[in-house]
Amino acid sequence: MPNKYLFLAFSALWAIFFLYAWSLSRRQAHLRKELEELKNKQGLRSQGSGVRSQRSEG
Amino acid sequence: MGEVQRIFYIHVSSAWTAFLGYFLVFLGSVGYLWKHSPGADHLAQAGGEVGFVFCSAVLVTGPLWAKPVWGIWWTWDARLTLTFVLWLLFVSYLMLRRYVSSPGRAETLAAVVGIIGFVDVPIDYMAIRWWRTQHPQPVVAGGEGSGLDPHMWVALLVTWGAFLCLFTYLLRQRLWLAEARRQLSVIRRASSVRAAED
Repeated sequence: MPNKYLFLAFSALWAIFFLYAWSLSRRQAHLRKELEELKNKQGLRSQGSGVRSQRSEG
Repeated sequence: MGEVQRIFYIHVSSAWTAFLGYFLVFLGSVGYLWKHSPGADHLAQAGGEVGFVFCSAVLVTGPLWAKPVWGIWWTWDARLTLTFVLWLLFVSYLMLRRYVSSPGRAETLAAVVGIIGFVDVPIDYMAIRWWRTQHPQPVVAGGEGSGLDPHMWVALLVTWGAFLCLFTYLLRQRLWLAEARRQLSVIRRASSVRAAED
């Protein structure tokens, strides 16, 4: 294979870029999930406090 | 040199882009030490990480080009050694950011390392002009007797343009990640304060 080094260089380059893009997207997905969970938790808490305040008004 | 010469385009473009990454580390670090703005710190962090990716590409494509042309994978000449040192600087910068956990201190330490580490970039760039090295003498901005065929210039600039687009995209994604992390920690702190008040 006369151009095996050329092939290897381009393959390695693609592999490096692909691995980094994959690691970035994984970290982003994880962070999005955490943000959603936190928002949901806060939403529940504010709903809970809303119910409490309605009760005390009643 | 034959077909293997085409590694030149990706090798040189990766090196220039890695230098740009470290330049952003330098800019962001100076900005952080000056104004203590999280945005500057995020720029340094993102530039360091994406620059590390491109610097790794330089160190992988270089030996793959050297073996068929020089007959060896690696030699400890000035240019190669300084590029390896630059890669180690990226690694130490990123490790420092990961393992120093106290807020404020981690950013300040990283900024100092980022600024000191940047000294390697101009020395690495000038190494093939100052010393006789196994690495070829400069063909771009190398003075008399150096230069590229116009067709090679086009190929090189197109490759570098593509790499810059990729660099910008990855940098933006990494900046988003840094900002989202900051917001998450602010929300967490606020919610723990609220929980303590309840």
